[in-house]
Amino acid sequence: MTSKWEKFQQRSFLESNARTRAIGLVDSGSFTELAGPRHRITSPHLPLLGEAVEFDDGIVTGVGMIGKKPVFVASQEGRFIGGSVGEVHGAKLVNIVHLARKSYDKLLTANPDLPEEKRPAVIISFETGGVRLHEANAGLLAHAELMDQFQDCKGKVPIISLIGSRVGCFGGMGFVAAATDVIIMSQFGRLGLTGPEVIEEEMGKDEFDASDRALVYRTTGGRHKYIMGDCNILVEDTITAFRQALQEVLVKPYVEIATMGCIGSLKKVQSQLKLVDLCARVSPKDAKDIWKIAGNDNPDALTDMPLDVFLQTVKHLTNSDQGE
Amino acid sequence: MSKQLHELIFELKAENPTDFPVDFSHFGVVGSGDMEVIIEQKALAGAVRIKIVSPVTGYDEVWRRVLERFVNETGIANASLEINDNNATPVVVSLRLRQALSEIV
Repeated sequence: MTSKWEKFQQRSFLESNARTRAIGLVDSGSFTELAGPRHRITSPHLPLLGEAVEFDDGIVTGVGMIGKKPVFVASQEGRFIGGSVGEVHGAKLVNIVHLARKSYDKLLTANPDLPEEKRPAVIISFETGGVRLHEANAGLLAHAELMDQFQDCKGKVPIISLIGSRVGCFGGMGFVAAATDVIIMSQFGRLGLTGPEVIEEEMGKDEFDASDRALVYRTTGGRHKYIMGDCNILVEDTITAFRQALQEVLVKPYVEIATMGCIGSLKKVQSQLKLVDLCARVSPKDAKDIWKIAGNDNPDALTDMPLDVFLQTVKHLTNSDQGE
Repeated sequence: MSKQLHELIFELKAENPTDFPVDFSHFGVVGSGDMEVIIEQKALAGAVRIKIVSPVTGYDEVWRRVLERFVNETGIANASLEINDNNATPVVVSLRLRQALSEIV
């Protein structure tokens, strides 16, 4: 008889709720939820606005194992107010990272020779539109506090983002994800700053038609992010695919994982500035213009080809593409 | 009149009660038009206590009918239910409550 965990493995990551993802990404039966529904830490602000609350405030946090490694998990629930960050949600997110770093310090003090395979890691399954407007100040503060926790984790605890859920990862959480060490996405995942609807609202339909799904995915979807180098690994849309990619990352030495992010060195900043120069020179009208510059002669074919073919044939945008 | 969250409490008793078998369970996501429920064991002399927190008012009788049907059809007893509702229709409520019970192996 197949266990629940085994059933979760083949499930679509996109269709899975936050709790399913949290349970399924770590080893079978290893997930322990912290500050979960049992504790009923609901938003103190939403009732005053007559808005429904959720017992976990839209985020699942806890600890599990991947092999011998303690993994501190945060998994956002996009169906609860768009996975947006309110006070409790934010505090849970900040504190699970804090707990990971404290655990690292405790473990390494007790055993300075603790092998890497036993050192903690943080994984975040992002599904969010960013700050919860009903609790804007608390939400924004949480973003800042989280970035602060990431800094404390440098040199100690790797932080891995998994983006493959319906709402995507937008708003302030977009740059928070960009501040993590590794980003794993599926082609259905989306990562950006301002969400498509907001761009349309601010700039008009001619500038960006949020109802044009193909456009939205060309601009913020996993395949585009992979070409741009904003995401490290692109996987199939199953929990097991994300889990396998995670396992492959976590066996790498920490010094290697720490080099995989989008930011964190002068070289990387220079690379980003080169990209800005490129856009200024080329004035791309569409992501496909950049795909072509990256060396993909048939950019139109890239959107629909099977994932395995895409991964074999696609050319990433490199430093030399961005060059003079 | 300012918006607020409303609380409804019902205490019901099934015709053929069966004690709720687990200490704690939870099911559901508070999406738009949806709800979540915590079901816990609670000694209530065979009764069931149900608390609903909802932004919607004026549906007390609809809730009562849905819950009475659920309690009688399942026989759930000695349990406390806490529901966070976000405008779920009676059909959705019925479905989620039954799904919550079926999750308990």
